[in-house]
Amino acid sequence: MNAKANKNQVTSIEPAYYQAITEAIRKEAVQILKDETVVGVVGYLPGRRKGTASPALVTTVEEAEKLIFSPACVNNLSVYLTKAKKGVLKQGKVGIVAKGCDMRALAGLMTESQLQREDLFIIGVVCPGVYGFGVERTGTLTEANIARKCRECTVHMPEGSDVAAGTHTELADLTPEEAEEMARIEAMPQAERWAFWKEHFSRCIRCMACRQVCPFCYCEQCLCDKNRPQAVESSPRPAGNMAWHLVRAMHLAGRCGGCAECERVCPMDIPLNLLNRRMAQELKELYDFEAGLTPVEKGPLNEYKENDDQSFIK
Amino acid sequence: MPQIITEQNLRSLIDLLVKEAKLVVGPKLSGSVVLYEPLTAGSDLTLDALPRRSSKELFFPICEDILSYKRENGAMKVADVDRSKFPETVLIGPPPCDAGSPAILDAVMSWDYKDEFYLERRRKSTIVGIACTKGDDACFCRAVGLAPDAEAGSDLFLTPLKDGSYSCKAVTEKGEALVAAHLNLFAEGAGAEPVPFVDQAVEKLDLVKIKKWLEEHFEDPLWEKIADICVGCGACAFICPACHCFDINDEGSTDDGVRRKHWDACGFSKFTNHASGHNPRDVQNKRYRNRIMHKFKYYDDKFGKTLCTGCGRCIRACPVGIDIADILAQINRG
Repeated sequence: MNAKANKNQVTSIEPAYYQAITEAIRKEAVQILKDETVVGVVGYLPGRRKGTASPALVTTVEEAEKLIFSPACVNNLSVYLTKAKKGVLKQGKVGIVAKGCDMRALAGLMTESQLQREDLFIIGVVCPGVYGFGVERTGTLTEANIARKCRECTVHMPEGSDVAAGTHTELADLTPEEAEEMARIEAMPQAERWAFWKEHFSRCIRCMACRQVCPFCYCEQCLCDKNRPQAVESSPRPAGNMAWHLVRAMHLAGRCGGCAECERVCPMDIPLNLLNRRMAQELKELYDFEAGLTPVEKGPLNEYKENDDQSFIK
Repeated sequence: MPQIITEQNLRSLIDLLVKEAKLVVGPKLSGSVVLYEPLTAGSDLTLDALPRRSSKELFFPICEDILSYKRENGAMKVADVDRSKFPETVLIGPPPCDAGSPAILDAVMSWDYKDEFYLERRRKSTIVGIACTKGDDACFCRAVGLAPDAEAGSDLFLTPLKDGSYSCKAVTEKGEALVAAHLNLFAEGAGAEPVPFVDQAVEKLDLVKIKKWLEEHFEDPLWEKIADICVGCGACAFICPACHCFDINDEGSTDDGVRRKHWDACGFSKFTNHASGHNPRDVQNKRYRNRIMHKFKYYDDKFGKTLCTGCGRCIRACPVGIDIADILAQINRG
């Protein structure tokens, strides 16, 4: 069956839709905790402020009954399975709530041997979208408050999950703001494009939120933290900021699944996902590869083939 | 008799101060965000949003050179920064949660070691605070003992009135001097009704009780629960008006470079990493605990003040929704 033909296009996603997903997540989470399929479930709990949610690792049935899904469930929870958080998996099989975009990160992490599929019970969410930053959190998702990345979502269905909650519903006629912005930047003369990024990076305060929420920034020693010798200036100044963001963009090429968490968490509103998407576009053109659609043996930049194009070597 | 300044005259005051070659800093739209930036004219002043970063950077910049070095003819020459060149500065427009920050930080910056970079900037600055009539569900200044009309830290304090003008109160001699030098912009009179303040959602906190709890709960499951989700970035600390930790790095080559002081954050895993490789705060729960302890216990122990103004920035910015007001309220309820 063609999901596209079958999808339900609407002008607003009402709280009832998210409530149904919430019920389904609770049911699954309670079940897998009760029958000890998993030692814990990474999901979302409501925040103190109206219309907010926070990631949570729940280990009891009582807590699992409080899990929610709402447009405020913006986080890509796969970050809790890697780097400093990888202790979670050491305790045993873990349940995780994953939207389509989060599934791409999970698939990518499996590709990179950071995760094993059998260690996870994935409660997929058929996600119509989540809130953007600084929008009205009314409980209803509309064109006015949907996140920029969700406007061009191609992964509403959480492919590869153990169970999926929700029916395919999405907002109709969303303008692809990010694609339009990319086209605008692409059309700039090089100097203007450079100035565009320089201006954005000049605001960077090097809080490293972009790195810390990124499921793929799992290096135990980040190049940008090295000081003997220093590889990238760690002080928040234009040169070091530029170096840091370019190093990161290159390092994520062919790996980033496009969850745009880096952009969401940037307290200085640097449009980092534009860089990631530009790199993804490059990988698509060069290798016809899209990261995270499904776990693969090796990503194109991790593999050497005799017949690789070598014309770039001059 | 209190004095009144119209909004137009407030903007004219900025124009005049710029003409007097003072550095005038205030909330200004920069791209899509409002930041404290140098104002080139009164029309730059943007008072409808809390700037994304606090005004502490005026005294404690994100990054500053503290000396430079260069090897010349085999000899290393070290040059200090000439602090006498720091400009006379007027900060216009911080709400009490930002204006109040120097009133907290002066203590640590002039304690056992006098931070002359910070102190020189403080000496040369005048702060014109404005009472806050905005606010959202992340605000909790009242809960930590401040208020939308708290004058602490301000030299001159303005209160928005319903007709768009401001009533002015000189809090310090610096504030009096600023008014005296531009008296024609101010009018005598009681003025219109003040704009009412916004209610805050967070309950009033008993800071003594919270401190006592912290003293007794250095080890507590709460820290692990928070650390479960804290991803260890520095967003909360960097945009905080009261956090003041910094790192020092020599950047450049061995023959030619600059020693720089820049913001650091206790949430980073390498913040307490020793040269030996030992890290006393080796896991996130110890790091987050330190953040709370420093703000609500250690700083109070040393300086009798709380290291938080309740601006709510960390709540709005936390990538994973950690809500310090909620944590404090939980502790407060016991």
